[in-house]
Amino acid sequence: MEGLQQQSATLRKLNTPSDDPIGAAKVLEIRTDKVNNDQFQMNTRMAETFLENTDHIIGELADIVVRAKEIALGQASGASSNEGTRLGVAEEVTQLFQQAVATANRRIGDRYLLGGFKTQRPPVDPEGRYTGDDGQTMVEIAKDVFISSNVPGVEVFNTHPKSSNDGRSVYSPNTLGRGPASEGAMDGELAYENVNVFDEIQNLRIALLTGDLDGVRNTLDRFDQVHSKLVACRAKVGSRLQGLQSTSQALERHNVTNAQLGSVLEDADMAQVVSDLTKEETVFKSALASSQRLIQPTLLDFLK
Amino acid sequence: MGLPNVFNTGRTGMIASKAAIATTGHNIANTNTEGFSRQRVLTSAETPRNSAGMQSLIGNGTAISRVERINDEYVEKQVRNGARDLSHMEEKDLVLRQTEDVFNEMNGDGLNRLISRFFNEFRKLSNEPDNEAVRQSVRESSQAMVNDFHRIRREVEAVREHIDARLEGYSKEINSLAEQVKDLNMQIKTAELAGGSPNDLLDKRDQAMKKLGSYMEMSVHKDGGGSFVVDVKGVGPLVVGPMAEKFSVFRSKADDQGKPEAAFDVQSTSHANSLVTHQIKGGKLGALLEVRDKTLSTILDRLDELAYNISDSVNSIHQQGFTRHGVQGVEFFGHMGGKERASEFIQLSDAVRDSVNNIAAAAQPDSPGDNRIAIAISGLQSEKFMNEGKATMDDFYNSIVSDVGVAASKNRSGMNQQKDIMTQLNKIRDQISGVSIDEETANLMQFQHMFDASAKVIQVADEMLKTVLDMRR
Repeated sequence: MEGLQQQSATLRKLNTPSDDPIGAAKVLEIRTDKVNNDQFQMNTRMAETFLENTDHIIGELADIVVRAKEIALGQASGASSNEGTRLGVAEEVTQLFQQAVATANRRIGDRYLLGGFKTQRPPVDPEGRYTGDDGQTMVEIAKDVFISSNVPGVEVFNTHPKSSNDGRSVYSPNTLGRGPASEGAMDGELAYENVNVFDEIQNLRIALLTGDLDGVRNTLDRFDQVHSKLVACRAKVGSRLQGLQSTSQALERHNVTNAQLGSVLEDADMAQVVSDLTKEETVFKSALASSQRLIQPTLLDFLK
Repeated sequence: MGLPNVFNTGRTGMIASKAAIATTGHNIANTNTEGFSRQRVLTSAETPRNSAGMQSLIGNGTAISRVERINDEYVEKQVRNGARDLSHMEEKDLVLRQTEDVFNEMNGDGLNRLISRFFNEFRKLSNEPDNEAVRQSVRESSQAMVNDFHRIRREVEAVREHIDARLEGYSKEINSLAEQVKDLNMQIKTAELAGGSPNDLLDKRDQAMKKLGSYMEMSVHKDGGGSFVVDVKGVGPLVVGPMAEKFSVFRSKADDQGKPEAAFDVQSTSHANSLVTHQIKGGKLGALLEVRDKTLSTILDRLDELAYNISDSVNSIHQQGFTRHGVQGVEFFGHMGGKERASEFIQLSDAVRDSVNNIAAAAQPDSPGDNRIAIAISGLQSEKFMNEGKATMDDFYNSIVSDVGVAASKNRSGMNQQKDIMTQLNKIRDQISGVSIDEETANLMQFQHMFDASAKVIQVADEMLKTVLDMRR
């Protein structure tokens, strides 16, 4: 009866491990799972924020490249350009360059998004040189499922980036048996000529300032290469975001299933408890009543 | 037959009925006395005397042959053994309940939750390895986990100390009970030599024996003189006739059979090398020693193993990483030599306690956004490195909790069963030796009538004598 009372007071049937040792261990397991899943969902949301912002940055960079290409197109033929117009648009190109650098250096809170692991300083210096590295911040979004929550600038700004720019050995996941898989640099594509966003805008500006029409024309094709690279980066980010969403939904479902199992193990069935309690009460009362009858009459009662 | 003899016959009846009434009164008075066996006055007809000149023998009244107690030695023994098993389980239940409470996190926080939190803080850190606030919370949650290791250790040790305090008290009680049985042995012998049947002393001795028997397994038999000889199994004699041995406890070093450091050892004057801690089985002492030396020691060993493994594995990864100051090889937890008492010694390293920037999240220097070490540490949670690579830390801790639960619940169901058995045994004993008020009241009336009737006999004899005396006038 005491046990039933505790169940009805706490609405739980598992109040001490000895009530159901195996169930208790299972409940603890489920709780750990729940805490972990909550954290994974937090991670997912964080990664979502970072990736969405990265997406915006790359989008803006693409816009800048498109604008630069327009300018280059306009000034490519001697017919439509003269020194005056060239100097005029060169000023705009300078603006575009600064805008590109500012966009690339955008941050959330105090964290620069495109700097790889170098998150505490602007990844691009005023001359357009990349100062970050190729570090990918891996985030665990489900048990043993990792996703990179950033795109290192080196991958964004260059069409054919070379391997790790700082030459330092990159942390090897093999030493611990687990860890983020480094995507590494695309070594096989070194044969292609690399095109860099900032270099190209700078090239355009110099060509405009010096009146080098061939130079202006040369940039057209390369702007296309940069632009398609930026679009490819956006596509990569987009597919990661999609992956995040489906994982997050899977986690949601997992949580629901776990909650159901936990409830089965832990929660008292109130209807059952109350009816058991009533039954016990009846037994208790009848025991009281019968013992009252049993104790009372002795021979002495009849001798008076 | 002479008339005076009739007076005497009446007198024996009155004496016998008075004795019977007194005994009935004694029974009624002791209705609720624990261990009391009801008593009966046994009477026998007085040897008839040959009256001069008469063929037939006429009886001479009654004589009290003895007062006996209604008692079945076999049932007493069963009650004694049943009580021993019950107190064994009750004692165990008491301490296991306390132990279970230490690990009970069904309705609140506990180590399981804190360990999950610890690893999750590292996951948070892997989201924002450059965020100082997250580092603070990593340190805070680690401290909370360490504190809980200390708490569990401390509380389990408190249970141990509680057990030791009880051991000390019990050994004194055993000595006083053994002394009591020995004294009763002598008193009973004296009384029996004088020809009486010392029923109440016998009851008292049975009662003392029952109490004594509840402390450990012992065998009891009677020697030729009717004295109890008590032998503790595996230890030696406790009471032999007029001799009682003594139990005592003393603090000693840990031994290889699970006895913890500075806990009590039990010694007995009856055993050759006097140390009997691991010979005692069953009863209250057996229960306490079993829980202390087996259950609690195993729990603490496993807790130590867990604490050591967490600290060691986190350190080995943490030391590969770089702190915010670009330093490699910093420990997260303070260094521990081995598993021995690891749950007591586990603590954050001085470096981490000094500054949260000494927490290494990065695998390369000067990379505030590098989270690979943090990820590797959080990954330890699902790594199976406990129990020879068969269990994760979660599994391992959960199995401690469920083992405590299993021990407590197994013992509890055994205890409930034993309670039923005891109820049954006590009922049987009551049927044999218990006092029934109804029966005693009826007897009282019967003996009163007997007394009245015996008095009447004397009255009739008196009248007859008067008639005879009046004849001379």
